[in-house]
Amino acid sequence: MTLRFDDVQVGDAIPPYTSLPITRTQLVRYAGASGDFNPLHHDETFARAIGLETVIAHGMFIMGIAGEAVTAWIDNKCLRRFSAHFLGMTQPVDLHDVEKTQARATITVTGKVVAKYEENGEKRIRCEIVAHDGQGSRKLTGFFVAALP
Amino acid sequence: MADKSKLGFEFPPYSIRVEQNKIAEFAAAVAQKDDTDSIRDIYRDVEAARAAGFENIPVPPTFPTSFVFWTGGGLMGTVDGVGADVSKLLHSEEDYEFFAPICAGDVLTRKMKVVDMYDRGRKERKGWFVQVTVLETEVTNQRGELVMRARTTFLERE
Repeated sequence: MTLRFDDVQVGDAIPPYTSLPITRTQLVRYAGASGDFNPLHHDETFARAIGLETVIAHGMFIMGIAGEAVTAWIDNKCLRRFSAHFLGMTQPVDLHDVEKTQARATITVTGKVVAKYEENGEKRIRCEIVAHDGQGSRKLTGFFVAALP
Repeated sequence: MADKSKLGFEFPPYSIRVEQNKIAEFAAAVAQKDDTDSIRDIYRDVEAARAAGFENIPVPPTFPTSFVFWTGGGLMGTVDGVGADVSKLLHSEEDYEFFAPICAGDVLTRKMKVVDMYDRGRKERKGWFVQVTVLETEVTNQRGELVMRARTTFLERE
């Protein structure tokens, strides 16, 4: 069902979206899909050499998850702008200790409509979003603009 | 540290063809799927994409960043181009403006330039000084239409 401009009000929440716990395998898959082979995201020895405990997720992987959250609610075709400011690093789940580490690796994206307006002959909405992990640590804040029918 | 004389530097233009399988692979990665059969239908089925108003299978919103990674020497081509040290870099912001759909089969040209470079923080406070670099990438399609613009901000720690 296509979301319509008249169906949306300022202050409305966008449907929350929660990821699966991010694994190292998913980081490798994202690296291969995106071409971002910064070793920081898959090579434990490199991560330690620069002072981190372990590898961290690509900021763009977290933004990609946020993109999933956004386009689960509005059609991909409606998106006019999508912007993110990266805050915290995200460590993947440790498979030998899932219970203690899955919360840090699970991303929830929430957001709300902050403006409705006309621009370039289109009816547009602006929404602010935030992504945080299962421990409440913020990973990114951002916004998107969508043109709705 | 990044070389401030690179402010205004324009990287050479690079072209890339948008491949359908690469779209599916990316869609699976961000949706955390183990295969491309279970991704959203607009990313794997041309008919579904057409029904959604696209000429062909579209790309997910953050897919265009991969154009920079797959051309022009990839990550290191960009990092070396501004004289930065990859082990000290953090991606700080990404901002996309979308002007027209990008679909499988499109042949895109990306033009990237260094639009801002500045220091933030104070050198005497260790850990509080970073150098900020902002890159702007404009992407045009085979018809010469500007389809998107991205601004990428990264920080280089001292």
